[in-house]
Amino acid sequence: MSMKRIKTLLLVLLASVIAVVFLLPLVWMISTSFKNDFEALSGKMNFIPLKPTFDNYIKGFSGELMNVPILKWITNSLMVGIAGTAIVLLIASMAAFALARLKDLPLRRTLLSMFIASLMIPGVLTFLPMYMEFNALGLINTYAALILPYTAGAFGVFLLYQFFISFPKDIEEAARIDGANKWKLYTSIMLPSSVSIMVTLLIFTFMGIYNDFVWPLYATTSPEMRTITAGIAMMAQGSYTQSYGKLMAMTAAAAIPVVVIFIIGQRSFVKAITQSAIK
Amino acid sequence: MVKSWHSKLTSSLFVLPYFICFAAFLLFPILYGVYISLHNFELLSPEHDFVGLKHYITIFTPGTYLNSLFFNGLWNTIQFVIYSVPLLIVVGLALAMLIQHLPSKIRGMFRTFYFLPYALSASVMSVIWLMIFDTNSGFLNSLLMKLNIPAIPWLTDQPWAWVSLITTTLWWTIGFNMIIFINALNQVPEDFYEAASLDGANAWDKFIHITLPSIKPVMLFVMITSTIASFNVFAQPFLLTRGGPGDSTKVLLINVLDQAFIRKEIGSASAMAILMALLIMIISVVQFKLTYGNKGEES
Repeated sequence: MSMKRIKTLLLVLLASVIAVVFLLPLVWMISTSFKNDFEALSGKMNFIPLKPTFDNYIKGFSGELMNVPILKWITNSLMVGIAGTAIVLLIASMAAFALARLKDLPLRRTLLSMFIASLMIPGVLTFLPMYMEFNALGLINTYAALILPYTAGAFGVFLLYQFFISFPKDIEEAARIDGANKWKLYTSIMLPSSVSIMVTLLIFTFMGIYNDFVWPLYATTSPEMRTITAGIAMMAQGSYTQSYGKLMAMTAAAAIPVVVIFIIGQRSFVKAITQSAIK
Repeated sequence: MVKSWHSKLTSSLFVLPYFICFAAFLLFPILYGVYISLHNFELLSPEHDFVGLKHYITIFTPGTYLNSLFFNGLWNTIQFVIYSVPLLIVVGLALAMLIQHLPSKIRGMFRTFYFLPYALSASVMSVIWLMIFDTNSGFLNSLLMKLNIPAIPWLTDQPWAWVSLITTTLWWTIGFNMIIFINALNQVPEDFYEAASLDGANAWDKFIHITLPSIKPVMLFVMITSTIASFNVFAQPFLLTRGGPGDSTKVLLINVLDQAFIRKEIGSASAMAILMALLIMIISVVQFKLTYGNKGEES
C-alpha cells in the first residue's frame, strides 16, 4: 500500500470515529425510546433494548400517556410552520420582485437598506415588546401569535432580491412588449424561474419556525396551543424526566419530521447558509 | 403624468404586505420597547408611570438588585462566549478540512453526519443531552462506571456544567460553521497549493501561508456569527443546567426573561434587553468595520 492510501485510510478512520460521536446521542435517543422505564433508568449501556416495546409511542400518540396531547402539538407545529412559510414566501417574493425589478418604486433604496439593516437586529430587542403587543391585542395563546412574528424576517427578501436583481433584463422586456403587466410579470415570469431559490427559502423558513422554541414557549399558555418544541421543553422541566423511555419517544416524534425534511432538502439548506454568508 | 403616478402606486402595492408585517412585528416593537423601558411597566397592572431613565440608572448603580442581575448575567454570558467561540471556530475549521481530505465519494455522507444535529430544535437537543448527562443513569456516567471512574455531576457542579454546555453547543451547532468553512476552502485556487508544493512547502506551511490568508474574510464572518449566537445563548443553560449550579450559568437572556415573566417587571426587563441588544449590535458593527477594512486593503 502506498503512503497516500494509508493516509487516506487513517483519515477515513478518524472521520468515522468522529461520526460515531455525532450520531451516538441520536442512536441512544432512538434506542431508549423503545425501552421500558425500568430498563431506561437502569444505567445499562445496551443499544438494543432487552425487551423492546412500542408502548412509549403508542401511549404517547393516543394521549393516554402523561396527559400530553402530543399529536395536537405536532399538528400545531406543522400548521404554524406551513402557514408561516407560505406567508413568508408570498410577501417576501413580492417585495423582493418590486425592489429588484420595479425601478419606479418610491423610496426603493431606503426600503432596501432598511430591510437589510434589520438583519443585524438581535431578537432580544423585539421579544418583550412583541409579547406586550400581542398581549394588548388579546392574541397571546392564538395561532396568530405563533405565526405572525416570523413574517417580519428580512432574510427571505434579501435572498430573493439577490436572485431577482441578476435576472436577465431581455426576458422581462420581451414580456412587457407582449403587454404583460407587473402582476403578470411576477406570476408568470419571475415566480416560475425562481422555483429553486424558493424551495431553498421554504426549507430554511419552515425549519426555523418548526424549531423555534423560546417564542412559542412564552406566547402560548394552554397545553393544547403549544407547539411540539415548546411542549417538549415544558416536559423536560417537569416530572416527565423520571421516565426517559417516554420522554425519548416524544422527543424522537418531535425530531423526525424536521430531520426528514432536513435530509431531503440538505442541498437547499446548505445553499441558503452559504448565501447568507456571502452577503 | 397620471400613468406614472399609477405605476408608482402599483409598484408600492407589491412591497406593502411585507412592509406591514415589517412595521407591525419589527419597527413598532423596537419603538414600543424603548417606550416600555422608560415606564414602570408591570404585566398585570393597567397603570404605567413614566419613570424616564430610572431603570437604566438602577442597572448601573452598584448594590442594586437590577445591577447584580444584569452584570452577573453578562459575566456568565461572557464566560460562555469565551469558552465556546474559539472552539466553534477551530473545531468547525478542523472538521471542514478533514472532510476536504476525504475521498470525494464519501464526503457528502460525513458532511451530513456532522451537520445532522443542526436540524434539531433546542428542546429536542436538550432533552437528549439531559438523558446522557444524567448523574445516576445517564449514558456518560454509566460508561465511566464501566471504566471504574467515579460518576461526574455533569450538570450540577462546576466546572462540569460549563463543560457540558460547551459540549452540547459544539455538537448542536458546529455543522453551520463547518459548511461555511467547506465553501471557503473550496474557493482557494488549487494552483496556490501546487506552486507551494513545487517550492517544497509542507502541509503546515501551506495551512499557515495559503489556507488561512485565503479564508480570512470567512473566518471573520464565522467569528462574528459565533460570537453573536453565543451572546444570545439561552436554551442550553435554561433547559440543561437551569442556570445552576447556584446562579453560575444564569446567562443574561435568562435573567431578562425571568425579570419579565417571573417577577412581571416588563419595564426594567426591557431596559436590560435594550442594553443587551446594543452590546450585540456594537459587536456586529466592529466586525463589519473589520471585514470592510479588510476588503478595502485587498482591492
